[in-house]
Amino acid sequence: MNKFTQLGADIVKLWGKYGNSYLSGVGNTLVLALVGTLLGCLIGFVCGVLNTIPFGPSTHPVKRIFLRLIRVIIRVYVEVFRGTPMVLQAVFFYYGLPYFTNNTLKFASIWAAAIVVVSINTGAYMAESVRGGIISVDPGQGEGAKAIGMNHFQTMTSVILPQALRNIMPQIGNNFIINVKDTSVMFIIGFPDFFAAHRAAVGASLLYFPSATVEMAGYLTMTLIASFLLRWLERRLDGSSSYELVQEDALTLTAGTYNHPGRSTPFDGEMPRRKGR
Amino acid sequence: MSGVEKHILQINHLSKAFGSNVVLKDIDFIVDKGDVISIIGASGSGKSTLLRCINLLETPNSGEILFHGVNMLGRGVSASRYRARVGMVFQSFNLFSNMTVLQNCMVGQIRVLGRSRPDAKAHAMEYLEKVGMAPYVNAKPRQISGGQKQRVAIARAMAMDPEVLLFDEPTSALDPEMVGEVLAVMKNLAESGMTMLVVTHEMSFARDVSTRVVYMCDGVILEQGPPAELFTNPRQPRTQEFLRRVLERQL
Repeated sequence: MNKFTQLGADIVKLWGKYGNSYLSGVGNTLVLALVGTLLGCLIGFVCGVLNTIPFGPSTHPVKRIFLRLIRVIIRVYVEVFRGTPMVLQAVFFYYGLPYFTNNTLKFASIWAAAIVVVSINTGAYMAESVRGGIISVDPGQGEGAKAIGMNHFQTMTSVILPQALRNIMPQIGNNFIINVKDTSVMFIIGFPDFFAAHRAAVGASLLYFPSATVEMAGYLTMTLIASFLLRWLERRLDGSSSYELVQEDALTLTAGTYNHPGRSTPFDGEMPRRKGR
Repeated sequence: MSGVEKHILQINHLSKAFGSNVVLKDIDFIVDKGDVISIIGASGSGKSTLLRCINLLETPNSGEILFHGVNMLGRGVSASRYRARVGMVFQSFNLFSNMTVLQNCMVGQIRVLGRSRPDAKAHAMEYLEKVGMAPYVNAKPRQISGGQKQRVAIARAMAMDPEVLLFDEPTSALDPEMVGEVLAVMKNLAESGMTMLVVTHEMSFARDVSTRVVYMCDGVILEQGPPAELFTNPRQPRTQEFLRRVLERQL
C-alpha cells in the first residue's frame, strides 16, 4: 500500500513539472497518427484502384505493359515498406535525403519527415487492405455499374470504393490505433511525441517507473477513445435501418395472391394434409 | 444497304469459349426496333452468355456485334458509351447497395449522361412510378423484397433511355409470388414499344408477350419464329422435346 501512495506522489510530482510536455506530446502523437493514417489511406486507395484496373488480351499492348508495370511497382512498394521496421524507415528517410543530395535537400521540419514516413508505411498496409476490400464487394455491383455505361473510374468512385471503404473501416481503425502507439518510434529523429515526453521527463527526474505508468495510462486512454469513436463512425456509415414510406405500393401482392396471366403455382391448390391428423 | 440501317443490333458469326468449353458457336441474330425477343432453352445452352456478350460484359472470341451498323468489337469503340444505350437487368438485381432506391436510378443519369440533378430525379421518379416503386425512394436495397428490387432495377435501366433492354433471367431468383409483379412490369414495357431481349424460363411470358421466340441449344440458335408458330408447331425434334418437358411442368 505504501508503494502505491509513493507512486501516486511521484506521478503528481512528475505531472506538476512535466504535465505540459506530456500533454503537448499527446497532441502531437494524435495529430501525427491521424494525418499519417488519412494520408496512408489515400495512398492505399490510389494503389488499390491502380491495382484493379482490368486488362485482358484485347487491351492495347502499350496500356497492358503500363498496367503490368504499375502492378509491379506497387508490389515492390508494399513488400519493402511492410517488410522493414518503421523506426528504420524514419532514419533511412531523414538521413538519406541529405546524404544523397550533399545536404542541399533535407526535410524542412521533423513534422514533414514524420508524416511522410508514417503515411508511406500505413499506405503499404492499406494498399493490401483496400485490394481486399475491393475484392470483397460483390462482382455484380461492378457489372450493374458497367451495364448503365459507367467506365472503370466512375464504377470505382460511385459504387465499389464506398462499399470497400465500409468493409475496411475496421482495418482503418486498426491502423489508426497501431499508429497512435507506433509513432512512439519517431523519437529516433527527434519528433516530440508522447513517448519523447517520457524520455525527457525521466532524463531529468530519474522517475522511470512513475513516468512509464503515466505513459501506459495515456496511450491506453487514447486508444480506447479511438476505438469508441471508430465504432460510432461505423454505425453512422451504415445509416438508419428504417426508412419512410412515401405511399402505398399498389403492385406488391401479398403472399398467396399470386397473379400471373394464365398461370398458377403448385401452391394454389389445397395444402397437403399433415401426417397423423 | 438500307436494310442494314434499320436494325438496331445485328450479330454476325459470334463465338465465345471459356477455355476449351465452347459456349456460343457462330451465332447470327438480328434485333429490330420494337422487337420483344424471348430467348429460351435448357440451362447451359448459352442464353445468358449470348446476352452478356451483346452487352460486352463478356468479350466474344470472334464475330461482330453491329449496333446501328457499327461494330462494337472494333478498336477504338467505347464499351461504356455503348452500354449506356443498351440497358441490362440481371438475375441477381445488382442494385448498388450503398445507395437508396432513388440514388440507384439517378447516379447513371448524372455521371454517365451528364444530366442535372433535378432532371435526373424527375426522370427517375417517372420510371419508379411506372414500376410502382415510387413509395420506396428512400429505402436501401437490403430493405426491400426481391420483386421490388427487380422493379427498381428495371426503372434504373429505363431511366437511362436505352434503345434496347436486355433481361438476363429477371425472375429466376424470385419467390413464386413475386414473379407476377415483375412480369407485369415487363409486359407493360413491351406494350409501350420498348425493344427487349429476354432470357427466360417463363414460357407464358415468351408465348403471350414476345414477338419472336428464339430457342437455343448447345450454343447455337436451333429455331426461332413468332411464338404462335414455335409453341404450337416446332420443327426441330429437340425443340419439341424441350417444349414438351417445360410446358407440361409450367402451364
